[in-house]
Amino acid sequence: MNKYNVSDILRRFSVPIMFVLICVICAPISGLSPSYLANEIVTRMGRNAFLILSLLIPIMAGMGLNFSMTLGAMAGEIGLILVCDWQIIGIPGMILAMIISIPISALLGLFCGKVLNMAKGREMITSYIISFFINGIYQLVVLYLMGPVIPIKHSTIKLPRGYGVRNTVSLLSMRQKLDNLIPLSIAGVKIPVATFIIVFLLCLVIVWFRKTKLGQDMRAVGQDMEVAKDAGINVERTRIISMVLSTVFAGVGMIIYLQNMGNIATYSSHSQIGMFCIAALLVGGASVDKASIGNVFLGIVLFHTMFIVAPKAGTVITGDSMIGEYFRVFVSYAVITVALVMYETNKRKNKSKAGEQLALDQEAANE
Amino acid sequence: MNKANKKTWIYRFAALAAVLLVAAAMFIIGRGHTVYFDNKMPENASGNIEVPYSIEVFVNGEKVAKLKDGDRGMAETMGQNFKMELLVTKEKGGKTSKIEVGMSLPYNMDGIILNLPAMLAGMDESQYLTEFIPTPSSEDTEDEEVVTDDTEGLMDFGE
Amino acid sequence: MSEQTQPITLKERVRGAAEEFGLPRLIITGFLVLLLIVSPFVGADLPTQISNIINRFSWNGILVLAMVPMVHSGCGLNFGLPLGIISGLLGATLSIELGFSGSFSFFMAALLATPFALVFGTVYGWLLNKIKGGEMMIATYVGFSSVSLMCMMWLLLPYHSPNMVWGMAGKGLRTTISLEGYYTQALAKILQINIGNLSIPTGAILFFALLAFGMWAFLHTKTGTAMTAVGSNPEFARSAGINVDKIRIISVVMSTWLAAIGILVYEQGFGFIQLYMAPFYMALPAVSAILIGGATVNKASIMNVIIGTILFQGIVTMTPTVMNNMIHLDMSEVIRIIVSNGMILYALTRKTEGTK
Repeated sequence: MNKYNVSDILRRFSVPIMFVLICVICAPISGLSPSYLANEIVTRMGRNAFLILSLLIPIMAGMGLNFSMTLGAMAGEIGLILVCDWQIIGIPGMILAMIISIPISALLGLFCGKVLNMAKGREMITSYIISFFINGIYQLVVLYLMGPVIPIKHSTIKLPRGYGVRNTVSLLSMRQKLDNLIPLSIAGVKIPVATFIIVFLLCLVIVWFRKTKLGQDMRAVGQDMEVAKDAGINVERTRIISMVLSTVFAGVGMIIYLQNMGNIATYSSHSQIGMFCIAALLVGGASVDKASIGNVFLGIVLFHTMFIVAPKAGTVITGDSMIGEYFRVFVSYAVITVALVMYETNKRKNKSKAGEQLALDQEAANE
Repeated sequence: MNKANKKTWIYRFAALAAVLLVAAAMFIIGRGHTVYFDNKMPENASGNIEVPYSIEVFVNGEKVAKLKDGDRGMAETMGQNFKMELLVTKEKGGKTSKIEVGMSLPYNMDGIILNLPAMLAGMDESQYLTEFIPTPSSEDTEDEEVVTDDTEGLMDFGE
Repeated sequence: MSEQTQPITLKERVRGAAEEFGLPRLIITGFLVLLLIVSPFVGADLPTQISNIINRFSWNGILVLAMVPMVHSGCGLNFGLPLGIISGLLGATLSIELGFSGSFSFFMAALLATPFALVFGTVYGWLLNKIKGGEMMIATYVGFSSVSLMCMMWLLLPYHSPNMVWGMAGKGLRTTISLEGYYTQALAKILQINIGNLSIPTGAILFFALLAFGMWAFLHTKTGTAMTAVGSNPEFARSAGINVDKIRIISVVMSTWLAAIGILVYEQGFGFIQLYMAPFYMALPAVSAILIGGATVNKASIMNVIIGTILFQGIVTMTPTVMNNMIHLDMSEVIRIIVSNGMILYALTRKTEGTK
């Protein structure tokens, strides 16, 4: 039990601790009022939590950080674009968009799972490239097929040339409809109650899922594929299911995210969210092979505080607004890099430890 | 085994059917319309129509417009059942009368113009209800360049 | 049951054949040939097209060549190419800042970039040695982190040359810097051949040939063969007395240095230095080019580099003109994204022989 000494704990929580330091230093410099900060963070919590939670299931199945969550995001966007064109508004519009996105995400998740099964051991880089690949297909659909093949009626959505969707699609008719469904504000902080309820439900689902047979199988696969296979678990199928679930949740999460934002950046929204959802999760103290719901919420608070505070602080210190912008991007990438490096070194250490243990066992057996 | 299989399939179909049902329901109850209210003489007016001095329009208990003679107001609504309350003032300083109007909006129209004087005169629906066809603004017809790049979003993290 | 196995074996056989021929590669080659055949009929000038391809080849060849050493030593595809590119950019900007001009500034830029490439490459190689097995993902993020760090640095470093800094503020480098008066076309104009619409940047191609030959020769030296041994079987290499970690670091340093030189050659052809976000966009095309040329995650030859660069650049330059002339619909960008990333995906999902 002596294993958990101070240095180990420091090491494990180095990223969150570093972020707390950055936030504590930058927050006063930025000159932003606490109530503004609190408001922003609560908004972002509602906006991002669902998306980030969708990353948990593949981690459980040992597939690492799901960079291809953007696939789900694209499905969500397609749903929203169609719903917008059909003029279905408000919450019914969101629900319909979700229903449309689910089969698309499920198909994409299936594809992704199959591809990742062919690339065992390098899931992350593969899922990262998949997100680019499918982005190409998404552009093909949205830029060329929407209009002539998939009917788009409204000129506010369609490009004047007759095919393709505009750079931004306004979601004014469903903007923050979910967030404001149950209005509540405490001490000047507006709380999107309905969104939180949905996020809470997803948390419950995840907790429950871990206890089901499938969830147990998934964890077994995540621990060791060979052992799981010997135990009679269909490894490939389990991995595919985890990808499908993650992608579907990401699609729904994207719809919640966009209803808060109030417009879709048709060709960039999805690639943006992929990066900062993963960064936020890692900032919350998750690692590539272990992440909990707690990590998600801690991550959102820390990462987004940094995200709001850093550009302002950068402007105050250097007088150049771009420095802070670049700084926060750099920190996001640095965090992901550090987390990946720590994961790989730990993996190697454990492997050599296991090797040593094996050698010791053999020695003991020989004696 | 077979029986369990059958049961699973039944559940799946039921779930699918339920989802489709929800989707269909969303199509109906979620259809958004923009309703425009005109308080002016209809263009091809037949019969005697009076244009009141002012009309106040309430939708869902919220005041959306106060229309003098010749004004146009608008409201966004969801679903086909449309209810509004009109406070009609015939002449300046005169008495106001409250009229409740309930109607069903045509599904296929995004924008709907209601000519209130014609409606108050008790005319046929085809006389007071017309589709609003937006004239594309210069901004809409201006060609915009689509920016797509596979690495976009790597530096710009949005808000 | 027997009825069911039949189609599966057939499917498997087709898949096996496709894998053997490298079906995607075949399709891409066919596509390019088709484009070349079609282009005169749709009104595109063939000599112009071909000189475009040759030019683009001379710009990009060395960046693709930079993939070779790391693939050989088993470090996988160098998604961390931006790190080397940054060394090159530092060399380029320093060369201008120090007042060198004309073609000589190219030489100085290469010289000044070298120490940066060596230092960055060594650190990067050391890091990759700590995380064997996860190189590609971490390389990607090392690239991203370094690019975003340098974005801050380009603003903060004390550059003063009026040709490079923002005019208004007098500090902070511009996003694009013209090389007019410096080393634009420095290599290309050496022995340049012009026949009608066809122009060949002989110097730049010779420079590529020189480096490619150097790489080929290096792979046949003792260190070079050791590198291949490390890549194909590290355990065996270790037991043969090869210092695996050292060889891997050498390969990473070489790759980083080649990327630095590669970006300088790219700039002399393109005529501009692109700073800030530009290095982001450089890794994926180079990676997919070498894969299109027939390389795999752990095997790459000089031939793969040459063929891959020609095919990739051919498609990138030909599709827009041909498609525009043919159907007035420019889908080239989407095609490029799907083809290049599809190719990387294909390479990643193939079962690689030996250890990875």
